[in-house]
Amino acid sequence: MKPSVASLYQAVELQQEIPPLLIGERANANGSKKFRELLLADDYQACVKVALEQEARGAHVIDLCTAYAGRDELADLTTLVRLCAGALKAPLMIDSTTPACIKACLRLYPGRAIVNSINLEDGGVNIRRICRAAKKYGAAVVALTIDEKGMAMTAAEKVRIARAIHAIAVDEYGLRSRDLLFDCLTFTVGSGDANLRDAAVQTLEAIRRIKAELPGCLTVLGVSNISFGLAPQARRILNSVFLHEAVAAGLDAAIVDAAKIVPLARIPAEDREVCLDLLYNRQGEEVKDPLLRFIAHFSDKAATPAEDGQEGDSKPEEQLFQMVMDGDKEQLEDVLAILRQRFRPIDIINQILVPAMRHVGELFGKGEILLPFVLQSAEVMKASVTLLEPFMDKAEGTAATTVLLATVQGDVHDIGKNLVDIILSNNGYLVHNIGIKVPAETIIEKAREVRADLIGLSGLLVKSAIIMQESMAQYREAGLTVPILLGGAALTPKFVAESCVPQYDAPVVYCADAFAGLKAVQEFEAGTLTATVYDGATAVKAMKPGIRVAEIDRTNPVPVPPFLGQRYVEDIDPAVLFSLINVEALFRGRWGYRRGKMGAGEYADLIEGTVRPLYEELQRKALAGGWIQPRVSYGYFPCRAEGDAVIVQADGAEHRFSFPRQAEAPFLCIADYFKTAGEGGDIAGFFVVTIGPKMSEETARLYQADAYHEYLLLHGFSVEVTDALAEYWHGVMRREMGIGGTQTQNALGAVTQNYQGSRYGFGYPACPDLEAHKPLFAFLKPEAIGITLTENMQMVPEQTTSAIVAHHPQAKYFAV
Amino acid sequence: MTPAKERYICANCGYIYDPAVGDPMNAIPPGVEFAELPDEWVCPMCYATKEQFDPLD
Repeated sequence: MKPSVASLYQAVELQQEIPPLLIGERANANGSKKFRELLLADDYQACVKVALEQEARGAHVIDLCTAYAGRDELADLTTLVRLCAGALKAPLMIDSTTPACIKACLRLYPGRAIVNSINLEDGGVNIRRICRAAKKYGAAVVALTIDEKGMAMTAAEKVRIARAIHAIAVDEYGLRSRDLLFDCLTFTVGSGDANLRDAAVQTLEAIRRIKAELPGCLTVLGVSNISFGLAPQARRILNSVFLHEAVAAGLDAAIVDAAKIVPLARIPAEDREVCLDLLYNRQGEEVKDPLLRFIAHFSDKAATPAEDGQEGDSKPEEQLFQMVMDGDKEQLEDVLAILRQRFRPIDIINQILVPAMRHVGELFGKGEILLPFVLQSAEVMKASVTLLEPFMDKAEGTAATTVLLATVQGDVHDIGKNLVDIILSNNGYLVHNIGIKVPAETIIEKAREVRADLIGLSGLLVKSAIIMQESMAQYREAGLTVPILLGGAALTPKFVAESCVPQYDAPVVYCADAFAGLKAVQEFEAGTLTATVYDGATAVKAMKPGIRVAEIDRTNPVPVPPFLGQRYVEDIDPAVLFSLINVEALFRGRWGYRRGKMGAGEYADLIEGTVRPLYEELQRKALAGGWIQPRVSYGYFPCRAEGDAVIVQADGAEHRFSFPRQAEAPFLCIADYFKTAGEGGDIAGFFVVTIGPKMSEETARLYQADAYHEYLLLHGFSVEVTDALAEYWHGVMRREMGIGGTQTQNALGAVTQNYQGSRYGFGYPACPDLEAHKPLFAFLKPEAIGITLTENMQMVPEQTTSAIVAHHPQAKYFAV
Repeated sequence: MTPAKERYICANCGYIYDPAVGDPMNAIPPGVEFAELPDEWVCPMCYATKEQFDPLD
C-alpha cells in the first residue's frame, strides 16, 4: 500500500500520481495576516473558510497553525482541528512545535494527520515527545533539517541532520521511513548574498541524496522561500520553475499557495532559461551574474492587478524582508515575535535580515534606491538585531569577519567612517569603530587585540591621505598582514595604487564609498580581494577648469577697510543663514537624494513631499534647540605679495602665507591677486567662522542612538549651515570694503561667484595646505570663540571654516 | 529633430551646466550637450566629475 494520510472522508496518497502533493499554507496565523486577524477576532468559522478555499483551489492537504503570541494555542488549535475535521475533505497537517498541542490534536483528529514539525534544534528533547505521540496515533511527521547550529545550509549538512532525525524517529520510536517527510529548507537566491548563491543547488542535491540514502522516506519543501526579495510576478515564475526542478530531484510534497503555481508549459522557454540560470548559479556571457540577468529580464513584466490584492497577506519572513527593504519599523516587534516562534534569532538574522540588507546594497549599487533609504533599511536591521539579542547566546555570531575602523591621526571627520560602520555592521560583520584622530600605534595595537581580519582607514583631507601613505611602512614593520581598506575625499585610485600599495605586503584597497567597502569585505571572504591597481594608459585625466587669462590687472584700487586688525562677532541671528544654504548641494550631495533614474515629476514629488519637509523640520529644530551658535573672528590687514607668498602685518609682526602655484598654464597663485610692496602694498581679509560645538554633539547623539538617517541629515545640514555662514560673512566683508555693493542674495549666486573678489578656504583646491592655519591663528586668535587646532592643523569643532578674502576683481576659484 | 537641450546640476555644489551657455572655465563653447562633454570634464566650480551631475529639467 502506498503511504497515505486521511481525513474523516477520504485517504490521500502522499506520493501523487502527478507529484507533488500540494499542501495549502494560508491557514496559518504566522504566515497569513488575514487568517491571523480572523483568529484574533475569535472568528473560527471564517478560519475554517480559509481552509476550505484552499481545498477548492487544489490543495491536497491543509496546514493548520494557530501559534501566535498572546493566544492560547492549545484551545485555538483543538477547536479548529475539531471544526476542520468535520468540514474539510482534505486531511490536516497539524502545524505546531508544542508537544502538548500536537498530542491533543492527534488524539481528537478522526483520520491520519501529518505533524509539522520536528527538528534537532534543542538537541533532541521535543522530537522524542512528538515522535512518541506520532507513533501512538499513527501520524506522519515533517522533519526540518535544523540542529543546534541552526538551519542547515549545505547538502551535506542537510543530509547529516536528516540521518540523525531518522535514527531517532525510526530506530528509537518505531516510526517507518514512509512516515517521515524531510523538509530540506531553502534560502533565497534573490538577495545577491554570495553565501546563498547556490542555495537552490544545495537543496536540490539534498533532496536527491535523502531519497537515495534514506529509502522510503518522503520529502517536502516550502518552495517560495527561494525567491524572497524579488518582484512578485518574477517570484511566481521562479517558484514554479524551482518546484518543477525539485520534483525532478524527487520532491514528493510542496507547501505552496496552489493558486500561484504556473504550469511549466505556460512559462515561455526564455523565462525558464533565465530562472534555471539563477537556480543553478550559471555565469552568462554578456551579463555574468545570473541574478542581474534575472532582474533585468523580468524588470519590464509588471505584476498583474490580481496579485496586488494579496500583498497584505504575506508570510512573516517575507514581511520582515520587505520591512527592511522599505525602512519600515512599525510592527517590527510583532513580526519578530512571530518569527522567533519558528526560527532561532541567529537564523532570522542570517537568513532574512542579512539577505535583505545585501539586496538593498545591490539596489543602491544599481542606482535604484538612494542612500537615505539604505540608512533607513539599516535602522530596521539594527532595531531587529537589538530586539533579538536578548534571546541569543553570547557565543552566537562571533565567527563573523572582523573589521577595525578608524579615522587617521589628526583628522576629526567621522561621517565617512561611520557610514562604513553602519553598512558593514548591518550586513552581519563585526565592526570595531575606534573613533577619530587615531594614531597608527593605536591602530596596530587594536588590530591585534580584536584580531581584525581587515582594517579600514578614513580621512577627509589631503594631509590625511599623506598620513595613510606614511603609516603603511609602520604597519608592515609591525608585522600586520591583514588587508587595509582606504577611504576619503582626498584619495584617488592612483594615489592608493602608487603611493600606498607598494609600502605594505597585504592588499591595500581604495574604496570610493561605504558600499565599495562592503564589496571589499565580501571579496575578502571569497578570497578574491586584491590591491588597487591604476592603469595610467586608460585612466581619464581630469580637466583643470579656471580663468584662462594669465594677465592680472595691477592697477585695481585697494579698498579702504572699516578698521585694521582683528575683531570677534557673536551676535549673528542663525535664521539669516538659511537663505544662503545651498539646498541643491545639501539635498543631492550631502543627503544623497539624487535624481538618478527618476523622471522630473517623480523627483519633484520626492523633494517637495519628503525632502523639503525634512529640511524645514531640521531648521525648526536647530533654532529651537539653539544648535547653531554663529561666531566669527575676522579682520583686515595690511599686506604685500612677495613671489608666491603674501606677507601679512598684524600685531606688529609679519606673518608669511606661502601659496602653491599651478604647475601648468595659466600658472595661477593666490599671491598674484595682491599688490607687491613696489605696487604700494594691499589689504587682505581673513576670517574663521564656526557654528559652535552643539551640532557635533547632536550628530554624535543621533549616531549613538542608531538613528542613521537623521544622523546623515543633521550632519549634512551642519556642514551646509557652516558654509552658509562663511558665505554670509564674506558678504559682510565685501560690503564693509565697499566692493560689489549688495549682499549675496542666494546660494546660487554664491556658487557662481556672482560678486567681486573671492574667498579661498584653507584646505581647499586653491590652497590645499592646512599649514596656513598656524599664522592665521596667531593673529585671528579664534581660541577665544572655542576653536582649536589638531596636531595636523584641522579645526575643531568640525563645523568651522576659514579663508583668506581677496578683493581683486579677477580673483575667482581655481585649483592648483 | 534637434536633441533636447537638457541642463544638468552638480550634486556637490549646485552649479548648473546649460548647453545653451557652455562652460567657458573649461573652454566648452555653447551648444555642447552634457552627454557630449568629454569624460575628463569636471565641474568648473567644485571639480566634481560628470557622474556627480543630475539632470535638472
